[in-house]
Amino acid sequence: MIEMEETASTAGKRSGRVRVAADKMIARLALAREEHIFLLLSIFIGIISGLLVVSFRMAIEWLSVLLLGSSPNPHQPRLIFVPALAGLAIAALTRFVFPNVRGSGINQTKAALYVHNGYISFRTVIGKFLLSALAIGSGHSLGPEDPSLQIGAGVASQISRRFGLSKEKLRIFAPIGAAAGLAAAFNAPISAILFVIEEVIGQWSAAVLGSIVLAAVSSVVVARSFWGAEPMFRIPVVTLRDSRELLAYAVLGVAGGFASLLFAKSLSYLRPKLRNQPAWSQMLQPALAGLLVGGIGYFGLTQVMGAGYEAIDQAMHSQFAWRMLLILALFKIIATTLSFSSGTPGGMFAPTLFIGAMLGAAVGTFEKIYFPHLTGSIGSYALVGMGVLFAAFLRAPLTSVFMVLEVSGNYSIVLPVILANTIAYVISRVLQPVPIFEEFTHQDGLYLPSMEEAREESSLHLEDAIQPVAVPVLQGSKTISDARRSLAQYEDGKAAAAVLVQCNDGLWYAAQKGELETLFSERTSEVTSDLPTVAPVAATELSLAERLGPERTPVLFPDLPLSSALPHFQRWPILPVTNRAMRGSLEGVVTLQDVLNRYQQQRDRSH
Amino acid sequence: MALATKNELSATRRLILRDTLTFLSLTLITVVLFAITLFLFRSFASRREELAESWSARGRAAMIVGDPQEAVVALRTALRYAPGERSYELLLAQALGDAGHTEESYNYFLGLWETQPGDGFINLRLARLAAERKETQTAINYYRASIYGTWEGDGAVRRRDVRLELSRYLIECHEPSSARTELLIAGGNAPDDTNLALTLGPLLEQADAPRDALNNYEKVLAHEPDNITALEDAGRLQYGFGRFEEAHRILEQAAREHVLSPELTAMIEDSAKILALAPSKKLPPAERVSRILRGRDLAKKRFESCNTQIAAASGMASQLQSLGERWMSKEANADRVALLYDTNEQEAIIKLTYDTEIEASQICGTPTGDDATLLLLATSKAVEP
Repeated sequence: MIEMEETASTAGKRSGRVRVAADKMIARLALAREEHIFLLLSIFIGIISGLLVVSFRMAIEWLSVLLLGSSPNPHQPRLIFVPALAGLAIAALTRFVFPNVRGSGINQTKAALYVHNGYISFRTVIGKFLLSALAIGSGHSLGPEDPSLQIGAGVASQISRRFGLSKEKLRIFAPIGAAAGLAAAFNAPISAILFVIEEVIGQWSAAVLGSIVLAAVSSVVVARSFWGAEPMFRIPVVTLRDSRELLAYAVLGVAGGFASLLFAKSLSYLRPKLRNQPAWSQMLQPALAGLLVGGIGYFGLTQVMGAGYEAIDQAMHSQFAWRMLLILALFKIIATTLSFSSGTPGGMFAPTLFIGAMLGAAVGTFEKIYFPHLTGSIGSYALVGMGVLFAAFLRAPLTSVFMVLEVSGNYSIVLPVILANTIAYVISRVLQPVPIFEEFTHQDGLYLPSMEEAREESSLHLEDAIQPVAVPVLQGSKTISDARRSLAQYEDGKAAAAVLVQCNDGLWYAAQKGELETLFSERTSEVTSDLPTVAPVAATELSLAERLGPERTPVLFPDLPLSSALPHFQRWPILPVTNRAMRGSLEGVVTLQDVLNRYQQQRDRSH
Repeated sequence: MALATKNELSATRRLILRDTLTFLSLTLITVVLFAITLFLFRSFASRREELAESWSARGRAAMIVGDPQEAVVALRTALRYAPGERSYELLLAQALGDAGHTEESYNYFLGLWETQPGDGFINLRLARLAAERKETQTAINYYRASIYGTWEGDGAVRRRDVRLELSRYLIECHEPSSARTELLIAGGNAPDDTNLALTLGPLLEQADAPRDALNNYEKVLAHEPDNITALEDAGRLQYGFGRFEEAHRILEQAAREHVLSPELTAMIEDSAKILALAPSKKLPPAERVSRILRGRDLAKKRFESCNTQIAAASGMASQLQSLGERWMSKEANADRVALLYDTNEQEAIIKLTYDTEIEASQICGTPTGDDATLLLLATSKAVEP
């Protein structure tokens, strides 16, 4: 009986060991396969996100036709009550069924990446799809791009979780899906990739770049197979024949900077005010916002309702007078502020483009009237205006330039775009230091990293902490006895805690004082036994470099980040910093204290 | 060791199987999702197409009934459901122009022109809009581009129409020589088209090319001798050229066909009087001399009456002094016999007669009766080559 128990126990232990071994094996294989299926999964995420975004756009248009009629025009009563009723429905559903669908979706995706390990629930995806479509379709002044981004991220989150991937991988699938969703919504893969890097990930990450590109391209291919390959906007021919025209674009940059400031200030003022209201009041806010936005449409400006792409197209093709364009820009700011601040789900992307296009077309039309000798078309001003607002309001300068290039397919516009976007971006940064999306996250009690934040940081380099060489320097080729004599010649040699030894191979060795003293006092037999390849000679006859062994201090250059020195101070008391052009040529040294002092100085300055 | 390898293989197999199944499921889901999206999209696209067609039809109807503002709204809606649809865009641009949104229409057409700079219709509309904006040279350039542009359907006729429109515009812009060139090219392109010739005639007259106009009317009359318009216009032009015999004949023919305007009727009467008074070289010598003498008598009386009238106002007599000297000369008083054999003398008297009528009319005002007929003859002779 006992034997049987022992046998069973042994078998149990064995099977347990086998199970553990198998689990380990699976874990090891899982790590390897993750890399293999990562790219493949990105393609699937791109395709499915593309399909969902196509359906999302269809849903918006269907709902728009159903709710507002096929030709919404001023003085139609439904323009007022439809957005209001839709607002009521949205508020109820947001409160009781889909609590996480408020807002644009960009910050939520970012929060998913940095706070929830890339997790976005299926319910949120469904809720975002339905409620955003209802909001935009019923005329709320919001756009479909940001929700598309979150839908894509949600799809990625759901799919990747079926594969039992590691937490690290699961986290980065969210931005991959986000890029796919945005690329399909905007039919512009490069802009989508850059936007996700600038706004969602907040840093350049080589690890996900390949997957993001694959997902974005897959989703755009899917979207184009439905909508066609035409760009989102019918862009008129863009030419810049007279360089004086750049002045007009500079004016547009200034106007865009201030317009984005007005837009951002309105949102940052109204949103927290409305969110601090009692719960019952929040239930009515989307309806009230819908009523007001519908009122704007009812009394003549139907263009501000919904995403407003038709109006952007009309502005690009010079179908509004400049005063009308300015009025549209102003009322779009008001309408979007109301819709967004009320908590109605929907994006800021399209309204931003709308305001920029109107502003740009206004500047272009004004220029045409008062400076007719300049040749730029109104369409090109509208296009640059979109980029300007994008750069200044969304604080994505790189994306804004590429977006305009991608949407226009015309490289000759690059100069005006860079000029105007830079001016607007600088104005916006100076007058509104915290980007609007970052402010939203702060209002929501979150502090997420951003590229803007990274841009603000001035990274320190070794050259900022480097000090002149004040320790004794010995030649590694010298014998121990010669080295001892050389060291004795240094006046402060005895006080120095470390000594630098230049070895024959151009590398350095930072020896501690005690280490050298030990070397100098060792006997021949001990030395030769330690070095089997060296012939038995007197210790004093061996070179210093040979006695120090093969280990050398790391090769550091002045332009390397200051933090790169930190891991080495545990082993070395001092680190030589050498010249990149001349191997082994000493530029100076850094100690742990130097590095810490430099960081302290920077901290004091920033405070 | 063997056990471990076996387990590893088993675990690997399980993992591969799991991944394969998951990917298969994913593929299946993607395919199903694609099929559903495709189905919905087709339905969506067909509904959009229907809406676009319905709204464009409304837009067309509004344009036909002359409500361009309504057409603009309808066509904009149509374009919302069929963005980039060329025919709708053209209609919308046209409707914008018709609704008085010249600037918007111009810009819209410019946008269309950028994609199709050789399109005849777009260039024509741009030319018209540029003309409205008083950009003469731009309008002319667009008209020319339209003439040489591409047209759907009967390009030759459309190009000719545009050329005629350009000619009219050039006439308006006081560039008659350019207009004449365009009109002659238009006529040269369709030499046997009598309707065109009838259109070209008045335009050529407006372009200060009455002889070319007359050629066109004569071309019409060669094919249609009873064409009233051609008869009237040709008669009027012949009368203007001082070819009174020809004018009288043509206008008489026209008068037989239908009732002429008072102006043309007066021309018939005047030309009859002129023919009765004119000392044509075709007349027998005796009759010619008789007419010369009759004319001389009329002119002399006119001179004397005018001279008396001038004498009443002091210091004005000197204006007719040289004419008076000519009337006092021997040639001016030659008798019938002397004139009958001296054609130079005949010409000198005719010249004196005409000069007298012209100068007297300038100093003493417009004459009446036979003097007026004589003056008409004198001035017509002056313009006749």
